Amino acid sequence: MKRFIARNAPGYLFLLPWFLGFFLLALGPILASLYLSFTRYDMVNAPRWIGFDNYTYMFTRDRRFWKALEVTFHYVALSVPARLIMALGVAMLLDKGLRSIGVYRAIFYLPSLLGASIAIAILWRQLFDANGVVNQTLGYFGIAGPDWLTNPDTSLYTLVILAMWQFGSPMLIFLAGLRGIPRDLYEAAEIDGTPRWRQFTRITLPLLAPVIFFNLVLQTIEAFKTFSSAFIISNGSGAPADSLLFYTVYLFNEAFKFFRMGYASALAWVLLIIIAVFTAIAFFTSKYWVHYENERD
Amino acid sequence: MACFTRRNFLHGAAATAALSGLASRPARASARTIRHFWWGNPERDRRTFEVIKAFQARHADIEVSGETIGWGDYWTKVATQTAGRNMPDLVQMDYRYLFEYVRRGALQPLDGFIGKSLMIGDFDKAPLEGGMVDGKLYALNIGSNSQVMVYNSRIFQEAGIDVDVLDWSYEQFAQVCEKITAKSGGKMKGSDDLSLTIDMLESFVRQNGREFYDAEGNVQATVEDTTAFWQYWADLRKAGVVRDKGKTIVLSPPLSDTGIVTGETAMGQHWSNQLVGIQALMKDEIGAGMVPKMANGRPGQFIKPSMFLSLSRDSRDVEAAMLYMNDWVSDPQITAILGIERGIPCSPRVREALKPNLKPVEVLSVNFFDAIQGKVAPVPPPPPKGAGEVRDAFMRIGTDVVLDRTKPADAASMFIEEAASIIERAR
Amino acid sequence: MELDEATRVAHAFMLKRKQQERNGRLLKHAFLLGVSFIMLYPLFWLLSASLKPENEIFGNLDLWPSTFKFDNYTAGWHALPQSFSVFYVNSAIVTILSVIGNLISCSFAAYAFARLRFTGRNFFFALMMMTLMIPYHVVLIPQYVQFLQLGWVDTYLPLVVPRFLASDTFFIFLMVQFFRQLPRELDEAAMIDGCSPFKIYWAIILPLSLPAMGTAAIFSMIWVWEDFLAPLIYLNDIKSYTVPLALRLFLDQEGQSAYGQMFAMSVLSLVPVVLFFLLFQKFIVRGIATSGMK
Repeated sequence: MKRFIARNAPGYLFLLPWFLGFFLLALGPILASLYLSFTRYDMVNAPRWIGFDNYTYMFTRDRRFWKALEVTFHYVALSVPARLIMALGVAMLLDKGLRSIGVYRAIFYLPSLLGASIAIAILWRQLFDANGVVNQTLGYFGIAGPDWLTNPDTSLYTLVILAMWQFGSPMLIFLAGLRGIPRDLYEAAEIDGTPRWRQFTRITLPLLAPVIFFNLVLQTIEAFKTFSSAFIISNGSGAPADSLLFYTVYLFNEAFKFFRMGYASALAWVLLIIIAVFTAIAFFTSKYWVHYENERD
Repeated sequence: MACFTRRNFLHGAAATAALSGLASRPARASARTIRHFWWGNPERDRRTFEVIKAFQARHADIEVSGETIGWGDYWTKVATQTAGRNMPDLVQMDYRYLFEYVRRGALQPLDGFIGKSLMIGDFDKAPLEGGMVDGKLYALNIGSNSQVMVYNSRIFQEAGIDVDVLDWSYEQFAQVCEKITAKSGGKMKGSDDLSLTIDMLESFVRQNGREFYDAEGNVQATVEDTTAFWQYWADLRKAGVVRDKGKTIVLSPPLSDTGIVTGETAMGQHWSNQLVGIQALMKDEIGAGMVPKMANGRPGQFIKPSMFLSLSRDSRDVEAAMLYMNDWVSDPQITAILGIERGIPCSPRVREALKPNLKPVEVLSVNFFDAIQGKVAPVPPPPPKGAGEVRDAFMRIGTDVVLDRTKPADAASMFIEEAASIIERAR
Repeated sequence: MELDEATRVAHAFMLKRKQQERNGRLLKHAFLLGVSFIMLYPLFWLLSASLKPENEIFGNLDLWPSTFKFDNYTAGWHALPQSFSVFYVNSAIVTILSVIGNLISCSFAAYAFARLRFTGRNFFFALMMMTLMIPYHVVLIPQYVQFLQLGWVDTYLPLVVPRFLASDTFFIFLMVQFFRQLPRELDEAAMIDGCSPFKIYWAIILPLSLPAMGTAAIFSMIWVWEDFLAPLIYLNDIKSYTVPLALRLFLDQEGQSAYGQMFAMSVLSLVPVVLFFLLFQKFIVRGIATSGMK
């Protein structure tokens, strides 16, 4: 017992704030939502236990649930790689030897500051309008663009572009990671005459792996949970023709528009399981490609 | 180790001190507190806080806490507070949400107070009825409203349109659309495409002699009604005289995105309390017309309460809340501050008193309101639980019609079927 | 003679190299400038919208306003029942406390997860990751009920206290990834010298992780400053509203909105964030100088 305490005390003490927060504040609401997912709950009257009804309805009768899944998976598959590649590319450009780097860094971060505000929604509609700036620009090259946002076949791409354009936070994290790679490694490689792309695959990628892993996991989770941008750009409806019916937008409307908090909670737990599976896969495979400095032997 | 614990403690202590400072709020001076929550805009907030001040000058023992936020966020917050059994004493209600709250038991009936603390005996009866469910008054109308076909008067003049917009038929409406489109060489369309506006379908059904929902909440609208409705707009779409279908399938656009404001169309369907807001976004002057009629001449629109004031289930000081509510709708000083910003008041006395001080665009709204009196249908029975979802389903299925993916007749039978099943699920 | 030839060749090589580098740099600048314009366009648009008269914002694509309406700024500042000075002070209180809370509590937790061994580490880590995955909207109501019972509704406590209790998993995970990269020998050497785990955290891990801490500070500041949902739910009194909440008072879907003023105030609300960003990004840069010690 004494040994147990001695061995674990430092860890538990440092985790104390988190323990307090998790067990006293976070866990209760999470368990409550799990309970609510087995009830019919309209937020006015007390929840009524209905067993697995919400879940069976979801999988057998709810067509919009499948539509929401489809839209969300589509979005995740497109936006996560696009955003990460964009962020990594720009971070590497910025990492090396430019004196004005601070200015660019700030400029590239600006779009992310605007977030998913009403201003962005209005701007996006004007940009991607049939006669908007995007189509005018395409027009110079002789391309007739569609009415992007209001066409169910293209509307999702405008949100992918929005995600790419707001690459600020992964970029910053990449940058912080790149800064942690010792310069002398590159200098040595330079002297050896190692070509640039080789330096990238031999030095940058392996040493950046923990940060790449972080961004990959976090961006995937965030993409699955995308809410604000889709909500605000589709006026909360998922229109046109449910092409922007993101999972969380559907969930939000079920809860707060149609007073089905029980059903919404069930939707949330299904999403949680989906995300957990993806995250678990990422953690499992990370053994093979992410190596940490302090855990090498 | 020692070093760790001591430091940690110090951090913790500092944080606790800072936070306990945050938690203490000034103790309320007065014994009685009521909360009033509304959705608003800067103008409405200014007026309402002024009302609260005026009320408190008179009732020093009652503290009114005014709470406000924009429309979209309002409903999220009200729902959360309702779930926590912490609803404000008085909540502003909208026709779309009122019945969802009443039928779930979140609001208290006001009948017991009428004639005692709520003096509304001389109010217009019809607009008051809009707040009744199962014979009980759950919501006090604080402003009336009606559908309005807004038009750009410059474009109308230039195209030489001289129809009586207060009494026109769907045929005439179509002709006006054609004329405007032709005149502008196709650049300016006649009107928004209203295929996805369920209020238009509801008027349409009413003009066919039925209501969308009967008194028991059953769907009475038929496949034929809906087919004819969607077909009418499909024809206009085919003729190219209404707004682009891409714009139509953007659901619930803000006022700033509607055709008349962006200058893409000469007409659109709105509500009379939106006239002021629309005018503010436009350079051209606007005018107001009624919903077109069918051959039988039956009216389609009705006088609908635009906003209500309701007493919540969680009110702790009902007496104080009713004092406030009564002053709100009948006190001369307070109603003068409120003006017609929330809609047209249903007390004739208050309306008379307000008339001399209105702005031009407000006059447009009041005159329109006066002009349609006697030309409108009676208030329909309150919609059932699930009506909001039916509205969404209508827009969703209608989208396929607009995009030409489904024929009006097929979509109509799909919609009526789904509407019935939504109402069933909500019961 | 031979020596001369050698220097000449070397010199020419250097020159060529420099030329190449300069060309490369110019190209890079040109590319970055191009991207910058795309990145900045929305800001220009926002600025222009904030200076336009209401009826010009829509149905008009020109970036240049026909008349400059600075009035949007002066009137917007006082357009709401409380002036924006009040909202800025409120936002500053919440943000400063939250950033401090996040940095302290999250780095504690991250240090434990990354560098210390204890029973149940992986289990707790998995639990922590789970809190990232659940859609926020379904815990909203249970959380509200919980804070209501604590009597914390209509105070800043629900916004600030969780941040002192490491509620932002994002930052814990972020710091864990960076802490794990630091060489293990450092701790071991320090341990042999008799340093306590806290000493190691404070004197070794934190100074070496400035880029990560700087990044966390920036994100934390920006996200708290822009946070909207929690203030919406927990703050009732308009005197306690934060800036993003106040911005939501300008628009009314049904009636009169004040878009020009809303945009003007949106522009101003970006100022503190940008300043903070410029201030703290230095840490990301400075990181190399210190961690170059290896």
